[in-house]
Amino acid sequence: MPIITVENLSKQFTVRERPGGFWSGLGSLFSRRHRVVHAVDDVNFALERGELVGYIGANGAGKSTTIKMLTGVLVPTSGKVNVMEFTPHRDRAEYTRRIGVVFGQRTQLWWDLPVIDSFELLKHIYEVPEDAYQQNLAFFSELLQLHRLLSVPVRKLSLGERMRCDLTAALLHSPEILYLDEPTIGLDVVAKEQVRQFLKRVNEERQVTVILTTHDLNDVEKICQRLIIVDTGRIIYDGGIDALKQRYGRTRMLIVDLARTYSEIQIESADVIRREGNRIWLAFDRDTISASDAITRLTAHYEIQDLTISEPEIEEIVRHIYQSGITA
Amino acid sequence: MRKYLAFTAKAFQRTLTYRFELWVELFINVLFMLIYVCLWKALYTGKTAVEGYDLNGILTYIVVSQTLLSFHFTLRIARVIEEKVRTGEVVTDLMKPVDFQLMLFATGIGTSFHTVLFNMLPKLMLFYVGLRLLVPSSILTVGFFIVSVMLGYVILFSIEFLIGILAFWVVEIRGIYFAVIWGISWFFSGYFLPLEHYPVLLAKIAEYLPFQAIIYSPTVIYVGGITGKAVVRVLQIQLFWTVALIGLGRLVYRAALRKLVIQGG
Repeated sequence: MPIITVENLSKQFTVRERPGGFWSGLGSLFSRRHRVVHAVDDVNFALERGELVGYIGANGAGKSTTIKMLTGVLVPTSGKVNVMEFTPHRDRAEYTRRIGVVFGQRTQLWWDLPVIDSFELLKHIYEVPEDAYQQNLAFFSELLQLHRLLSVPVRKLSLGERMRCDLTAALLHSPEILYLDEPTIGLDVVAKEQVRQFLKRVNEERQVTVILTTHDLNDVEKICQRLIIVDTGRIIYDGGIDALKQRYGRTRMLIVDLARTYSEIQIESADVIRREGNRIWLAFDRDTISASDAITRLTAHYEIQDLTISEPEIEEIVRHIYQSGITA
Repeated sequence: MRKYLAFTAKAFQRTLTYRFELWVELFINVLFMLIYVCLWKALYTGKTAVEGYDLNGILTYIVVSQTLLSFHFTLRIARVIEEKVRTGEVVTDLMKPVDFQLMLFATGIGTSFHTVLFNMLPKLMLFYVGLRLLVPSSILTVGFFIVSVMLGYVILFSIEFLIGILAFWVVEIRGIYFAVIWGISWFFSGYFLPLEHYPVLLAKIAEYLPFQAIIYSPTVIYVGGITGKAVVRVLQIQLFWTVALIGLGRLVYRAALRKLVIQGG
């Protein structure tokens, strides 16, 4: 029995078009042109309890709109959302008690007050029993090293510190599902990694179902078992990360340091895509030519010093899918 | 209920962070009140009473109404809502199991409690020491006055709430806010001058507007300008506005919510 079921979900917005310039701007007072935007277009998926899913797509792909419909603050134009037997937008009062939400670009903490005060307030808002609250606070403080931050006013926190506190704030009432909209946006590498590892542990140790939207593919590559890729409102891929690599990541890269300078390099079935001094980047399709064949052909004609083979980055794969569409 | 008290407590705590601003505010308030006192003293030279107010009566009226006016300065609920809509924070609020209107009211009470303690009471005491002001005629009058202040407060909150909710439809509410709160409300709430001194037509208009229920009603009860049945009548009118404006606020908020969840704000 899935915890989240989404069927034929669509959301359309009517955007008023306002032409630029004074006269046409004045004209728009009298006649208005409307354009319908399909932010989410016939989306279907189901999530089991305890999954950790990455919902990825470029800006404007419809990620946030989907999250808003899942959390119940936006009403679908058509289709169905069922989360733990709730229809989010209709049962919002009851439903919101059982979910946690984090927006990377926003904070739900009180700007002028020490962090702990916002936590206390949330305890009252969600009517969390004192012992459960203390337990959760201790658990998250330990995991995210919050002890030093609790007495600091939120406005004085760095973005990374604030995000750690916001994650805790969203989990103090022990929600069963955690929605995160771009939780790593704007964070540095260390802070990003901290957030990722935290989400992974919360998912594993507390069986919290997690959906996170992101356009940073490192987020999903490291922690998500499953990936949903959306583009212009539609799902273009839904499955495991390994399967995605298997299917679309056929291109391998050979990075070679040549022993001396060659004016021209040509290898059958492989392309030199970049060259820097004596270092060359050689791309080949693993179905056409094996890595060992490529190396054999290379060494037959050129003297090489060193070489490495690189797997395609998930980012590259997704970029490729965006550019050329999905192919079976 | 417990959760709303928590909002009140946090809002009170937050106001304590901005102490300097509050001292400045208090200082400017007192300065303005001194000017009004001088003005009325000058106007009353050679007169014993005008429209039923003798000098001490009018000074008491001015001091009390000016004190109550401080709620206008610190409540700022309309601006809070505008900010929430502009930044999208309103979405975060929607995701919590709280009533938006009640939450803002609880927050407002916290802010205003601070105003009462650190602005209104000191001001009132200061002027009682410096001038020979009237005291309410009985404990009952004090009781009526307090009830009337509270009703007036809820009316002010509700008007601010209504203006704030407009931010769901228009980008900029500052114009409307200033026009209503610092324009119409100031003019018709009788903060500057008892409504008895107004030209008949304006006084009549004021009578049919909710603004006079914010400041004029409690103040006139305090100075004993009305007594007996008239007090009960004033309280009834205040109660009417309280219920009507809270209800209207809820209706308009529901419409705003519908727009938000359908159009995405």
